[in-house]
Amino acid sequence: MATATATSAATRSPIDLYASYSDRVRTALDNQHLKTALNRSTIRMSNQRVASLAAVDGQLLRDQTRQMKEYVLRHLPDLLEQFEANIVANGGQVHWARDADEANRIVLDIARRANTQKVVKAKSMATEEIHMNHALEEAGMVAVETDLGEYIIQLANEPPSHIVAPVIHKRLEDISQLFQEKLDMPPTFDPEVMCSVARGKLRQEFLTADMGVSGCNFAIAETGTVCIVTNEGNGRMVSTMPRVYVALMGLEKIVPTVEDAILQYQALARSATGQQCTVYLSMTSGPRKPGDTEGPQEFHVIIMDNGRSDMLARGYGEALMCIRCGACLNVCPVYREIGGHAYGSTYSGPIGAVISPLLPAHVTNPEKLPHASSLCGACRDACPVKIDLPRLLLDLRADQVDDGDTAWVDQQAMKGFLFAMQDRRRYEQAGKLASLGSNVLAALSGGNIKYMPPPLSAWTESRNFPAFAKKSFREQWSERLARKKSI
Amino acid sequence: MCAKPATTAKAVPPAGESARDAILGKLRATLARPDLRFPPPAPEPLTAATRMTVTRADGDLDDLAHRFGRELTALHGSYEIAETATEARLALVNRILTWISQEEAARKGAVIVTGQERSILAWNEDKLPVEGIGPTLTDLGLKLITPSDLRTPESRDKVRHIRVGITGVEAAFAATGSMLMATGPGANRSASLLPYRHVALIPYSRLYRTFEDWLREQRDAGKLVDTYRSRANLALITGPSKSADIEMNLTLGVHGPKFVHVILFDDSPGDPDRQYRPSDLFDDDPL
Repeated sequence: MATATATSAATRSPIDLYASYSDRVRTALDNQHLKTALNRSTIRMSNQRVASLAAVDGQLLRDQTRQMKEYVLRHLPDLLEQFEANIVANGGQVHWARDADEANRIVLDIARRANTQKVVKAKSMATEEIHMNHALEEAGMVAVETDLGEYIIQLANEPPSHIVAPVIHKRLEDISQLFQEKLDMPPTFDPEVMCSVARGKLRQEFLTADMGVSGCNFAIAETGTVCIVTNEGNGRMVSTMPRVYVALMGLEKIVPTVEDAILQYQALARSATGQQCTVYLSMTSGPRKPGDTEGPQEFHVIIMDNGRSDMLARGYGEALMCIRCGACLNVCPVYREIGGHAYGSTYSGPIGAVISPLLPAHVTNPEKLPHASSLCGACRDACPVKIDLPRLLLDLRADQVDDGDTAWVDQQAMKGFLFAMQDRRRYEQAGKLASLGSNVLAALSGGNIKYMPPPLSAWTESRNFPAFAKKSFREQWSERLARKKSI
Repeated sequence: MCAKPATTAKAVPPAGESARDAILGKLRATLARPDLRFPPPAPEPLTAATRMTVTRADGDLDDLAHRFGRELTALHGSYEIAETATEARLALVNRILTWISQEEAARKGAVIVTGQERSILAWNEDKLPVEGIGPTLTDLGLKLITPSDLRTPESRDKVRHIRVGITGVEAAFAATGSMLMATGPGANRSASLLPYRHVALIPYSRLYRTFEDWLREQRDAGKLVDTYRSRANLALITGPSKSADIEMNLTLGVHGPKFVHVILFDDSPGDPDRQYRPSDLFDDDPL
């Protein structure tokens, strides 16, 4: 179906992450292949989630996961200290990083001391957040992504566009073309063949890498255990095969007990992909013990802040309960249209729109992200921890107004609105003026208004504007009342 | 420790203050604020009495074994149920020989020599729940490899082309078709990770309804924390390795095994109905 040339053009994401927000969105909306890919995947993923939560007491699971996470945030410092003490007692090492630079410095330091040439990585949003691959490569090391989706986008030199399905923006045809170009794969659209090509290449990397790096889906305080959740087995590989294993965790990933971890694990699996359990849950508590056949000699955990404590301090602690399942992305009508790259940030979708402006990330126009939502509430209904995402988006918008971070035109318009609303006569006059003006413009356009003069043209550039009613409700009311009396 | 205003992450820390102290201090100061919007002041922890068990499985051990098998089959794994450990051993051998002949047939005469075609990667024999597997495989010209060290490139080269791995389990959970693996001396991680095919032997005595049931048993016996801390790694495995990254197409065997076969068997010693007696052979009167 797809010709070689057509796919080749679409293989590279045309979205420049550092372009302005409106340019990113426009490019995304113009990309028909992106729309195809998003439609094929998001709807299916959200249907699977709904079915999987309906098969058990999904509401109770969400309530309890939320209750547990609220407890975690309230006791965060104590739980982190308990976790640290247990990791150290288990023979591991704990490092603390205030920000991305510090986290990268710690990773490089560990890598250099272990004389590392090659790093194998399991899929991790935290390492994406701090651009760890870039830091490793600048230091002359090779960093290989081993999640199939992450491997694909690393070959294409792109960032992930979804929290759990990083390559959701690519069609089968695009990936086939990429493998033909980069891996000398014979032409085929058979996913099994494509998968086995990647398996062969990556197996060699696992067996020869010096250091394994992963994120951390959750960490257990009472045992000092880092848990990573995968379907492919790369999480087990990176925590088992290399000499050194490093896990990077956001400080909000801690849970108190093993039972809490298993509860969150099931909420995550069902919400992310509609599975009862993922294929692998790898739980590492320390380096290899005497008599173990394999396993790392060194086990490091980096506990990273990078804006998270600020988020709590600014009143957005609710967003720290996020377990990164991606359910809110799959149901979001905005994400389904524009995909992940248009957000210009590591985290996309509704949760990305909340946390990206709060994290110290390099995003162009982060102030636009809280507006990338219709506030329809689908994200809140899908969230396994019931985070009130529309509320948080509104709070962020309100903060912008409080900080005076709104456009001059908007400020003047709101001032004018306030002025008109404070007096009945002014309100009626303004209504008449708007009705007259809009009806003149509508008559010129022959129906809905298709053009308004600047600065109102910002609206009509992308959508029509219906004219106001010729007579206001109050006018009609008093006219009818008068008629009734006259009878 | 004063309540600091929200600063950007680039703020230079005071000299001498470690990142650890800075982060924990800031969290404590923030959580001490009475006006903090979130989290609520005193959320209740989940307890054994309140915490839900997400999935459920009903019936006796035979029912649980079948349930385990059905769940695993739905995930593209396979299973069989043997009545005794001896039958489990026969089933294992049969499975391995079937796979070998299938692979030979699939090669259609092409010869790929790795030198490891007739090797099987496994846990140490004393860690496997079925006795006599090594000698039985030797009789058939197969070799059970139980490495004591897989850290060097040379030791890995000796096993990297092995096609089949054999393990037991720490525990198995019927409601989800999941197996818990605990690494330790003689119980390596590689046998359930590196080969293309993995056979797990599950005695009924290690079969639980749910993960939560096992957690409860461990917790009540006061062993749970130690079980985790005394092992470098525990892994929960539910079906063969898979990915849907290529446009939601299911692909199996991405990094871990593509085929997961489970042999469940009754290892309860005290049940005479479960033991074969000579009289079983003569249940029909030959006359």
